[in-house]
Amino acid sequence: MERISTHQFMTLGAAVLMGTTFLPVASIATGAGGRDGWMSVLPGFAMVIPYSLMVLSLLAQYPNKNLLQISEALLGKWIGKCIGVIYISITGYFGGLLLSQCGDIYERSIMPLTPLWLFYLGGLLLVFYTVSSGVEVFARFSEIVFPMIVIALVLNIGLSIPRMEQGELLPILSEGLKPIFSGAFKIMPFAMEYILFLAGILTFLPNSKKELAQLKNGVWRAVFLVGILDMLVVLIQILVFGPEEVNRLVYGLLVLGKIVEISRTVSGVESLFMGVWLGASVVKISAFFFTVTWGLETVFGFKGVKWNLAVCAVFLGIAFGFVRGHSLFVEITLVDDYLILPFASVWIPILWGVSRWKKGAGVQ
Amino acid sequence: MKRNGCRVGLVLILITGLLFITGCWGKREVEELAPLISIGFDLGQKPNTYLVTGQYALPNKGAAGAEVKDWTMSFEASSLREAYEMTYKILNRTPFNGSVKVIVIGEDMAKAGFKDMLDFTQRFSEFRRTIYLVLTKGKAQDVLNVKLRNGEMPAMSIKNHLEQGDELSSFPTVRLGHYLTILGRKSTAPIMPLVKSIKSGDGGIEYKAEGKDGAEEIQLEGAGVFRGDRLVDLLTDEETKGYMWLENNVVHRFINTVGLEESKVNFSAHVLKSTTKYKVADTNGKIELQYQIKASVAVEEVLGQNEQLSETEWVELMKGAEKSFAKVIEKECELSIQKEKQLNLDFLGVGRHIEERNSAYWKTVKDQWAEKIADFPVSVNVEVTVHHSGMSNNSVINSTSERQE
Repeated sequence: MERISTHQFMTLGAAVLMGTTFLPVASIATGAGGRDGWMSVLPGFAMVIPYSLMVLSLLAQYPNKNLLQISEALLGKWIGKCIGVIYISITGYFGGLLLSQCGDIYERSIMPLTPLWLFYLGGLLLVFYTVSSGVEVFARFSEIVFPMIVIALVLNIGLSIPRMEQGELLPILSEGLKPIFSGAFKIMPFAMEYILFLAGILTFLPNSKKELAQLKNGVWRAVFLVGILDMLVVLIQILVFGPEEVNRLVYGLLVLGKIVEISRTVSGVESLFMGVWLGASVVKISAFFFTVTWGLETVFGFKGVKWNLAVCAVFLGIAFGFVRGHSLFVEITLVDDYLILPFASVWIPILWGVSRWKKGAGVQ
Repeated sequence: MKRNGCRVGLVLILITGLLFITGCWGKREVEELAPLISIGFDLGQKPNTYLVTGQYALPNKGAAGAEVKDWTMSFEASSLREAYEMTYKILNRTPFNGSVKVIVIGEDMAKAGFKDMLDFTQRFSEFRRTIYLVLTKGKAQDVLNVKLRNGEMPAMSIKNHLEQGDELSSFPTVRLGHYLTILGRKSTAPIMPLVKSIKSGDGGIEYKAEGKDGAEEIQLEGAGVFRGDRLVDLLTDEETKGYMWLENNVVHRFINTVGLEESKVNFSAHVLKSTTKYKVADTNGKIELQYQIKASVAVEEVLGQNEQLSETEWVELMKGAEKSFAKVIEKECELSIQKEKQLNLDFLGVGRHIEERNSAYWKTVKDQWAEKIADFPVSVNVEVTVHHSGMSNNSVINSTSERQE
């Protein structure tokens, strides 16, 4: 059985949790929380912690099983299978939308004349290769890509400091705590996307008592690293553009990359950043590709290259169905807010609650 | 074995994919591009049209070094994209917008509103938000067509001027991104530096003109105040300088006390450092915005000093100079505040300052802010410190007989 180390789990988890969230996070946070939106990012991501702890406690109770298998064991075969079908549908659909977003990002920002299929096919080839190579290769790929994402983000944020406007962050908390709650609620779907991935990857995680403690530690680290980075991304955008503008911009970070100038001589470095963002996009799409393949294998017993190719075809079909960027945005928000968030936030506590109840009642 | 075959297949697909990337087939040499340096916006003669002036720097084919040719042309069009289409039909190169440095807005266009013209520049990904925005008296077309005596392109001259603005701090530097941020604040009125072409003899400036008539120099002085995208009024040089003090935008400045009051001795100084802070004071329920300006200067000219002074007398003279400089700065600030009240337009961002420091009070006045600007109390307190008076204390003194004459 393929396994990843606890360290790999942390970096892979951080890379999946981060994904391309740094692109829309600022407009989402300020849209809901206004000027104080940046304070809602970390609490939003922190929702990963209680949910991850529930999932890892289920792993301790049911080693070598993913949450779909655990659902079948706890809730019965048919309810478990229904949950599996929902899981496959949501993650498959969302993966396709993310592939479409990958094309949208490049077409909008730096390569307006390059055909969309090139981004879709190019991105999907990388994803397919990663998925075919297995979880361990995916984890190693993340170990290389994630530090690059962090460095690129820190550079982008740091080099934007000279463009900061005076006082854009003030007044702080003038509307009370309400904007933070509203913002955190809009950020929570990012946390739930990660939880869906965690639900599937359980079978590849070590499950001794010591390693479980390390896994929990890894979740904490990943959440704080990604939460703080995304918070800084929102913060710098509010400081540079002001909350109204951040809310208006589609991908504020790409605009931020375009205004980076080093000593009035070097500009146009956004293309370098864009290369790294592709890596982030591939990690996220691969994560959802994996969840679909795990779901198919668990629920229907479908596995192998031909099923991977079928998933590729579905992803491509969805991506080509959303060539209109504005519709894509609406659809991603709808899936995040009305499918991923409710599904994951209800499914995991129910499963955890039932397992606790059964354990307490001594039911096998 | 099967796995290796798969990998080789994937690598081959990736290599084939690379060949189809447009970068390999659709490459363009620099000489085939026309980097756009500046765009000028004026109103067109036909209704609902604009006169769009594009200033391009065409790199010469085979030229050594960075030899470029100025290519400036105006098109009457209903949108910026239409103007581009007209450019394509004439110019045998591909216009490139990533190099735009300055957008010049003509006076009539500014009065009519230029929001629609700016939309393309903030939407199309090739443009950067670091582009400078300037307003011009008269037509933008005229400014961009000025044949400068030093042979520089007008757009590059304006850009270089703006980038050296800190040396003088007498006009604001506004980039597209900043303008959009200010628009987002809602309570603050945007401001833009004013650029104008000057002929020999204008405003006390004379030069040896090479052409028969027409302007051959460009000057940055003053600013325009906008309500959203519409020009409302122009600020004088002094009012603009006041704005610069109050906005904490003064890095270095030259100030002098000539004409301030009836005094035999006047001073000129170079501002070495300046900081403006503000606070929203609540005195018995009366809210007031108080500016506190602290400037350090070096005295560089002493005019009308005809007597030798002892060291202690010189100290007293410099203390007097500090007070005079403070009055000069205060006067400039007061002029700016008066203009704000007269226009009922908050270009100083007073409302935003109140919001930052006293958001509870701001919530009670923000809806009627436009009516409250004129009466809202604003005070300025200036402190000037003379660091030194250059390489000498006393000025050169004429002989006793000459002084008597």
